[in-house]
Amino acid sequence: MRLTLEPRLAPSARMRWLSPLVAAALTIVTGVILFSALGKNPLLAFHSFFVAPINSLNGLGELAIKASPLVLIALGLAVGFRANVWNIGAEGQLTMGAIVAGGIAIHYDGSGALLLPAMILAGALGGMAWAAIPAVLRTRFNANEILVSLMLTYVAQLVLSYLVHDPWRDPQGFNFPQSPLFPDTALYPILLEGTRLNAGALIPLLAVAAAWVFMRKSFLGYEMRVAGEAEEAARYAGFSATRAIWVGMLAGGAAAGLAGVGEIAGPLGQLLPTVSPGYGFAAIIVAFVGRLHPIGILCAGLLLALLYLGGDAAQIAINLPAAVSGLFQGVLLFYLLGADVLVNYRVRVVREDPHQRRAAAA
Amino acid sequence: MKIVTRREFLKSSGALGVAAAAGSVGDAFGQPPLMVGVVHQFPIGDVGWETQHSLATKAMEAAFPGKLKVTVVTDVQQAQDAERVFRDLAAQGHKLIIGTTFSQMAPMLKVARQLPNTTFECCAAINTLKNMGAYEARNYEATYLGGVLAGRMTKSNVLGWVGAFPIPQVVWRLDGFVLGARSVNPKVTCKVVWINTWSDPAKEKDAVSALISQGADVLAGSPNTPVQGVAAEERGAWSFGNCSDFSKYVKQKQLSGDLLDWSNAYIEAARDVMAGTWKSQSRWRGLGPSGYTKMAPYNSAIPADVLADVQKREKDIIAGKLHPFAGPIKDRDGKQRVAAGAVLPDAELRSINWAVEGVEGAFPKA
Amino acid sequence: MIDSIVPILIVTLGAGTPLIFAALGELVTEKSGVLNLGVEGMMLVGAVVAFITASNTGSLWLGVGAGLAAGTAIALIFAVLTLTLQANQVAAGLALAIFGAGFSAFVGKGYLGMALQSMPRGAPSLLSGVPLIGPILTELHPLVYLSWLLFAAVSWFLYKSRSGLVLRAAGESPTAAHSIGYPVIRIRYLATLFGGAMAGVAGAYLSLVNAPLWMEGMTAGRGWIALALVVFASWRPARVMLGAYLFGGVTITQFFAQGSGIGFASQAMSTLPYLATIVVLVLISRNLTLIRLNAPVSLGKPFHPDR
Repeated sequence: MRLTLEPRLAPSARMRWLSPLVAAALTIVTGVILFSALGKNPLLAFHSFFVAPINSLNGLGELAIKASPLVLIALGLAVGFRANVWNIGAEGQLTMGAIVAGGIAIHYDGSGALLLPAMILAGALGGMAWAAIPAVLRTRFNANEILVSLMLTYVAQLVLSYLVHDPWRDPQGFNFPQSPLFPDTALYPILLEGTRLNAGALIPLLAVAAAWVFMRKSFLGYEMRVAGEAEEAARYAGFSATRAIWVGMLAGGAAAGLAGVGEIAGPLGQLLPTVSPGYGFAAIIVAFVGRLHPIGILCAGLLLALLYLGGDAAQIAINLPAAVSGLFQGVLLFYLLGADVLVNYRVRVVREDPHQRRAAAA
Repeated sequence: MKIVTRREFLKSSGALGVAAAAGSVGDAFGQPPLMVGVVHQFPIGDVGWETQHSLATKAMEAAFPGKLKVTVVTDVQQAQDAERVFRDLAAQGHKLIIGTTFSQMAPMLKVARQLPNTTFECCAAINTLKNMGAYEARNYEATYLGGVLAGRMTKSNVLGWVGAFPIPQVVWRLDGFVLGARSVNPKVTCKVVWINTWSDPAKEKDAVSALISQGADVLAGSPNTPVQGVAAEERGAWSFGNCSDFSKYVKQKQLSGDLLDWSNAYIEAARDVMAGTWKSQSRWRGLGPSGYTKMAPYNSAIPADVLADVQKREKDIIAGKLHPFAGPIKDRDGKQRVAAGAVLPDAELRSINWAVEGVEGAFPKA
Repeated sequence: MIDSIVPILIVTLGAGTPLIFAALGELVTEKSGVLNLGVEGMMLVGAVVAFITASNTGSLWLGVGAGLAAGTAIALIFAVLTLTLQANQVAAGLALAIFGAGFSAFVGKGYLGMALQSMPRGAPSLLSGVPLIGPILTELHPLVYLSWLLFAAVSWFLYKSRSGLVLRAAGESPTAAHSIGYPVIRIRYLATLFGGAMAGVAGAYLSLVNAPLWMEGMTAGRGWIALALVVFASWRPARVMLGAYLFGGVTITQFFAQGSGIGFASQAMSTLPYLATIVVLVLISRNLTLIRLNAPVSLGKPFHPDR
């Protein structure tokens, strides 16, 4: 008697929705086991990690501003991932978007109402420009976009470092590496008094709606899906691979750039040597766990944001070690990939027929 | 049957947690323990910047047994997250919140403005508020002494400096080092390399190799780890440590080091908050019993007369008779920065970003 | 200047060695048709396990062995996911990289900042008699020599041995190989595990030799660079060696340049290795014929034995 994997006739739609939930549940269970192994009371640990951080209005606001960049970038990345275009450099595109928008905030001598919209546009363009590099290198020279976009992440980081150390350094800042604080007109207005929730959090929500429309209703969205699921068919139908690459990379770049603006015009209010705790990479996980679907991404983004918040909250409450959050993210992704198997395969228990065995022995 | 709301559960479980962890509750006067929060940017290692803060935290706890309940949060790398953590700590009753690095200053200012009843202290901060103070170390005093050692022990007259980033905190140490070296050996030069990261041990090691190949035989810098010292020792070069005492790793060739000791800052802050006498200050202290920096134990290979000279200078610095940045000082482009008989004012020293004569290497524009 | 050459060479060889281990391992994996993007994660896990073992046992070679084993174990997860459970190789590789980073940070928490005694360096002193390069030879670390041995072994295996031929067949044309009766999936498993083992050794080198200490994320992108090296090398071992040492050289150059006072901002110099990687990728990839001739045809595509 053994277990085998039997291919399904068609991918199971039900499992498509279930597998992220299964993965999330397994991650939480693993977490609780891990907490016990570390000597913490599992119930208390579970509460401090998953419940306490969002147990107040302030907490919900924090969840929203943590989830915003994750959801936004993941939506952009998903456009590409669906077409097998792998933009891994979102972190660098976020940095570039922040740099361009920050540059405007610092140098534009303005108190106008146009400053913030200009920054938003500039941030998106900055991210797109940075994503255009791997796009052109892939379409013109066949260079792998995964590696190029990743290398550019390191470059973007160094550019930001140079800018805040030298030309864009705050003249009142005692020569420490930071840009001047942005004027108020360069910041997103706060939505909820007493929290940090700012208007920037609306952009991902709009993006969820836009992404849904794009994916379901637009022809280009259809093209991208087919390009990913059936490459030969797409080529036969005349869907351009080049266009898929460009659309995929630029969508990710624009989203990441917007997320960069969200950070500097939101909780940071200036340019610093680093502006993101790895949102560009975490968004990859959000995209996968969200099944590349806008609503799924929204939920997955909230879950991952909670993992971030929980890590700090649990340190304060029960002295849980800091590195747990990062571990959870990796574990979640692994479980998802494992659970995904059940989309295409069914688990079958194969019993050996006693008659057959006797016949074989005879 | 009593129905417990989630909020009540959190409050009660939190309170239970506090009571259980605090052990004895309060002192003889029945005062509840002072809750202190300490926030680290990076994880706490065996040696390094975070370690020195961690040692100070322990010293603070040891100075007031039973009177403090300390929460340590680590690996809060970004300013956005630091802001949230400060607020969370304050919301959970921590009355003294201590920041450990410059990058926490901006988020702490935001939070301190909104929470006037909580006291904040931030390491290396340049701005203060009525309820937020700052503390920083004049570790250039110690690197000056290190430079004196280097200037005497070098045979090639070339020193090497591996720095992370050219920020004032690092530059004042570099300049102090070179000033000290040139005060005993005017022919000395110092080659500088910036590796643009706080933690890439392989890069540190390669930078050390490059500097030694270019002639340096005493290495110093801004390492958070013993890597530079170990790499230098392997090639037979001296090193001057930083932050923590690396001599248990650099067994033979560490001359000394400029150690950071924040205990006084932590202890005074806790003491004043408990007594209700805390006032916001920007404290910048160096060598000496109430200071924040110390010399690491001296290498036994240092000749007696060199050692005596260094120790005398240390006494002079503590007594205020010797100032490392006393003029005349020219920067490396030849411009005079400090006139003869004058001393570089604190405000300029705090924001220093120019290199003294004798420094070779890339520098951002002043 | 002349007597700088020796130390420069030594440092370059040292910087290139972890890349050689990781890239040669990945090359074998890719030759069998499997694209494992998780090299960075495997290197980190190898680095942390090697460090913990060495610091607890006092034996640095045991540490290297432990790193090798850890890399293999982690690669096994990837192999099961992609070869048995047919998960998307790119996604699984990314997951491996992310998981490796998180896992290594978690496990290494208690060992941050501790430095160990560096591994014993140098070959037997009789090598110092060799003219010209003698002084270099004695300074080199044993693992550098092992990397050369690995290169020889991999080259011989792939191009001179029958098993190597079979492995390459599994990568070029798995259906044909399967129909002849070769166990494609099993070959790919072994190739993937080998890649993991080598990545583990590369990580161990970083944490035990290069700078004997553990730091979160200390691979600093070298795993990704190793992946790029395989492309740069057009999937040929000799070119992997060349690329690795070139890359090591570029990394060192920035420090020499800074030390001699060249005026560019130091951040600009620090971008050199990454920009160099991009340039190299473009130069090689643009030659589509070269790629088509050398890249394993079925690279990254899942193989279903029953279909």
